[in-house]
Amino acid sequence: MRSRRDLLKSAVLGGGASVVAATALGSLGPEAAFATTAPDIEPGAPDPNFAEGRIRSIKENTLLVLGSNMVFHTIRVVDGTSLWKLGPVGFDQAQPGDGLYARGVLMPDGVLAAESVWLNIVNIKGHIKNITGRTLHLDHSGHEVLCHVVPGKSVAVHSESPPTTDLSMLKVSQHVQILGAWRPDTNEVDIATVFSPH
Amino acid sequence: MARSKSTDPPADLLGPVQGEVSWFCCGTAWGPCSTVGKGACGTCNSGNLQHAWPNTSDACWAITRPDSCGVSLTRRTCGFRHRTTALCGGASVVTTIADCGPQTDLFCGERSCCGATCANNRLIDLTPAAYSQIASLSSGLRPVEIAAG
Repeated sequence: MRSRRDLLKSAVLGGGASVVAATALGSLGPEAAFATTAPDIEPGAPDPNFAEGRIRSIKENTLLVLGSNMVFHTIRVVDGTSLWKLGPVGFDQAQPGDGLYARGVLMPDGVLAAESVWLNIVNIKGHIKNITGRTLHLDHSGHEVLCHVVPGKSVAVHSESPPTTDLSMLKVSQHVQILGAWRPDTNEVDIATVFSPH
Repeated sequence: MARSKSTDPPADLLGPVQGEVSWFCCGTAWGPCSTVGKGACGTCNSGNLQHAWPNTSDACWAITRPDSCGVSLTRRTCGFRHRTTALCGGASVVTTIADCGPQTDLFCGERSCCGATCANNRLIDLTPAAYSQIASLSSGLRPVEIAAG
């Protein structure tokens, strides 16, 4: 059986049937996609099948991304690509200025065929300095980050308990991990999940 | 929550240990990550296959204090290789130490599960490039097994 990576390669190389096959296997969602074996890469080295940076422009199904290290990446989104922006979204939610991480398969022409693209995703730890309305004021390494509760989207995970939309148990001075979506060019984040040890 | 005394000898000398993994950004970056720098080893980059380990030095140990959660871990320094294997799905990645962390004591006793498979305490943080080899970045926290790589 062909791997999802093989299917992605085929999709980018123009094998339309392979795109259908990939979809028939189910979404190229991250949890499933990671079951495939990635080629060996030297530990400690940059992963060529991974990219980070901010979107400079979008043309058809391609993202032109400027890496934070000033290296450009061309990222191709195909039918089976999963996109995340505070939750699963469609390609139309990608905007110039968005930060991203992407994982896929680096093609011989230098294009990254994307399995997954995470838009504006951040995962920060810190302690809660204040809570005002629906906003947590997080001290993250000495910098304040305003973390907004988004009704219907934000959940809290208290250790092994199931995720809950009730965030009222969060307290000032508590240490938490916040996974969310950064609002570009601000110190603000929309909360997807708050992880709390207690 | 009550804290227990550390085990002796370090659990990871006897074989793989199980714990929680999360991810962190380092190096040049965008958003809230733009201020974090290249980590305790001076080599950390989000796009590299690297990780943070709670016992890279005395100064590191004084911050992370996994022993306060009842976990003793071996001193391992910059460049040491660990293999991290997801308990959900079995994917694994080998990475090198590039930073000190996670701050285990602040999440002491925390437990994460996938189905009936669970692990306690934060013992390792992976870069986004490494974490995304074994789980979705949007999962944020996962139970794993850690072994010398």
